[in-house]
Amino acid sequence: MTEYLIRRTLQSVLVLVLISLFTFMLIHAAPGGPRQIFLSPGLSPEVAKIQAHNMGLDRPLPLQYLSWVGDLLRGDLGYTFKNNIPVGEIIWPTVKNTMVLMGAAWLLSLVIAIPWGIYNSTAEYGLSDHTASFLSYIGFAMPTFWFGIILQEIFALKLDWLPLSDMYTIGKKGDIGNLIYHLVLPVTVLSLGFLAGYMKYARASMLEVLDQDYIRTARAKGLKERRVVFRHALRNALIPIITVIGLDLPILVSGAALTESVFNWPGMGRLFVQMAVAREYSVLMAIALITAVFVIVGNFVADIMYAIVDPRVKLSRRGGAAA
Amino acid sequence: MKSPNKFTVLLSVFALAGALLTGCNSNNKANSSSSASPSAPASEASSSASASPSASPSADANQPVDGGNLVISSFSDVVNLNPIYIQDTASQETANFILSYLYDLDRHGSVVADPWSLAAELPTISSDGLTYTVKLRPEAKWSDGQPVTADDLIFTIQTAINKDAGSPLISTLDKIEKMTKVDDHTVDIKLKSVYAPFLYSLHLQLAPSHVLKDVPVKDLVKNPYGADIAKTVTNGPWKWTEWQKGQYLTFEADPNYWGSVKPHIQKLTYKIYADQNTEIQAILKGEADLTSAVPLPLLDTVKANKNLNVILAPGPQYEYLGFNFKDDNFPDKWSPFKGQKTRQAIAYALNRQGMVDNILKGTGALMNAPFLPGSWADPGDEAVNYSYDPEKAKALLAEDGWKAGKDGILEKDGHKFSFELQYNAGNSRREQVAAVIQQNLKDVGIEVTPKAIDFSAWVEQNLTPGKYPAILMGWSLSTPDPDAESIFSSKYFPPAGQNQGWYKNEKLDDLWVKGYSTVDQSERAAIYKEVGKEISTDLPYVFLYQYGLPEAVSTKVQYAEDDKPEPTIAYGYFYHIINWWVK
Repeated sequence: MTEYLIRRTLQSVLVLVLISLFTFMLIHAAPGGPRQIFLSPGLSPEVAKIQAHNMGLDRPLPLQYLSWVGDLLRGDLGYTFKNNIPVGEIIWPTVKNTMVLMGAAWLLSLVIAIPWGIYNSTAEYGLSDHTASFLSYIGFAMPTFWFGIILQEIFALKLDWLPLSDMYTIGKKGDIGNLIYHLVLPVTVLSLGFLAGYMKYARASMLEVLDQDYIRTARAKGLKERRVVFRHALRNALIPIITVIGLDLPILVSGAALTESVFNWPGMGRLFVQMAVAREYSVLMAIALITAVFVIVGNFVADIMYAIVDPRVKLSRRGGAAA
Repeated sequence: MKSPNKFTVLLSVFALAGALLTGCNSNNKANSSSSASPSAPASEASSSASASPSASPSADANQPVDGGNLVISSFSDVVNLNPIYIQDTASQETANFILSYLYDLDRHGSVVADPWSLAAELPTISSDGLTYTVKLRPEAKWSDGQPVTADDLIFTIQTAINKDAGSPLISTLDKIEKMTKVDDHTVDIKLKSVYAPFLYSLHLQLAPSHVLKDVPVKDLVKNPYGADIAKTVTNGPWKWTEWQKGQYLTFEADPNYWGSVKPHIQKLTYKIYADQNTEIQAILKGEADLTSAVPLPLLDTVKANKNLNVILAPGPQYEYLGFNFKDDNFPDKWSPFKGQKTRQAIAYALNRQGMVDNILKGTGALMNAPFLPGSWADPGDEAVNYSYDPEKAKALLAEDGWKAGKDGILEKDGHKFSFELQYNAGNSRREQVAAVIQQNLKDVGIEVTPKAIDFSAWVEQNLTPGKYPAILMGWSLSTPDPDAESIFSSKYFPPAGQNQGWYKNEKLDDLWVKGYSTVDQSERAAIYKEVGKEISTDLPYVFLYQYGLPEAVSTKVQYAEDDKPEPTIAYGYFYHIINWWVK
């Protein structure tokens, strides 16, 4: 297990370096730059040059990358080009906001999807199963932002029951009731998307397991159906579900750019879009990096969960033959 | 644009909005059809404003009340509020709440000393037209109690014209030869030569000398002044109280504000939305009270809302079809636009009124010369108006030697009349207009290939170096002064200048110089009439139309008739906001 952990950690660092390098190159390949907000044919080339220099944009690219990495190693995410604000000051609040939104949607969808999917596997093609299938189709097929706009139109504009956008009413920051009030619409939109996936996975995974020989054996032993489902089938069926959930973990941080934009939620997804428009490289790089870290952590957690849930995985890893 | 640099292209708004829209196209259907810089209003601008019964919400019986909160919506965050560095719209809009101007602009775009201006009266100009004497109000104070003095004015200008500072104001102030501090509140500013538009350069906000004078000029751009509330002393009616980055800024009436006229509205909130669609939804719901830019596709929805007043009028900007006169910019090394009759033919071939009626929904206005319509320099009927007349266009083309080729496309001296028309991607108004131009010109035998290019790439690779066959583009007239030498004179060829089409007309070159070399307004008006006549005859551009942005304001916002928003001037959507109040 230790050896495995070390190897995984080293791999992760390499992946992070590659990701940051590629992101850096991609961002710099896009036309325009942080100066684009200032670009106008009226700008004299002389002043433009000075501005680029002021923003440190006239240095060669590899140098810019290395200086960025250097700062990062000292725990410094850098400063925005345009107004010299520390990147951390901009990003961290949005990470928190995104986690609130995505966490709520994610938990809600798990709590509903897993039990429902399991139940539907035992009552295949029943009313509940059909309802769930229908909801899943909607969840998969409907673009979340579009669904968001529809909900806004109905519940915020026509009925005026719920707020249109934002996280808090201005001046009510930190008020939990106000937060929940603002969460209702975006969480509904996001959980429908999550729900569709998780429910289908739970159901399919259970169905597959329920078909296995060992389940037939369990039933043949005369075990109660309840015990067969929960004791024998569920534990095995959870493995693929956990993988999917683990792989989804990074979304909790990276957020949903489109949904956040529609609901004007001050999260990292919306920030990414804003900063991409403003070509704030340092913020984009930081977001890419934070997201990459969470992807790696998510995969890692998924692997460990695997080991916990699946005895076979645990044994083989203990033996040092990691997959 | 802080710098009333009138020639600054439609700039950051565009760059931002354009980029934002491209960025959001995938995310938002409603948005993708809105134009980057939604054009709006108005051939019968004034009448449409007054015809709408709700347009002037206040009655005389209504007395102003103090207090209340006004939420202003935006879709971009502030960058920096240091007046030496402001270049983007959001920063300028908010800086206007916390920093008074030396001189303000009135409704007609003239420079005035308002009760809230830092100067007590208009500058006195010496008889040789070179020296401007500016007197500051002795009572004007910064929010830390220090007086606003001659030092602040001198410091601001000196810093702005120092190349090391990298200030965008440099182009409006570099005509200054020297400044002399006469006393604590009086400054003599001497110009290198007579330059009438300089008066508009004094429509300027000041940076505090006592805070910044010891900062090395090169480090000034990174100084927290303008980015950190605690370190930003102000001198305007409101003070800066909060900045939740990416979300909102708040400004509260400053109880120690020095002016004799105090603001009525207690708190201004500048709220940032992810995109224009989200912004307009919030306006419709009443979560925000004022937007300066309603996208045209949403205009009818906004108009139908009882709680909103929509103000439509032509704004201080125009669009044009720009020709390139340099042969190198064409695949066959030959510019087809060199014949005056050819250019006039193109003007006749274009259905400009149709564009105004159908694309701008009848809310734009035709324009025939590059001057702010309605201003003192507007040449009116002196400028040639080209009506839609394809037959006349064909006749003129034939006179100029164009003959139909085998495929129906005109040819002359072995060159086909076929060119690429560039515009910035994501701007749906230009997209539509480009299609109309393509069709209109096809009808007279000219082949046009519209091409959309990402804004920033376009500016860098095509506009600044002057490399394109033809463009569909706009200019902002954010300074009402008619001088436009730097975009039409042959002194200003690219890359340093803005005459990107390499247009040369000696008569105009001379007229532009004459126009700014006297400070007498009636003399100037006569010169610009002549310019209007010549430029509309010779056509470096086909001037298409003037267009504006519809402003939507909640009915809870009240103002007297004299203080109503003025869409025809830059930032006029907050015109006299100090006198507004909320119900």
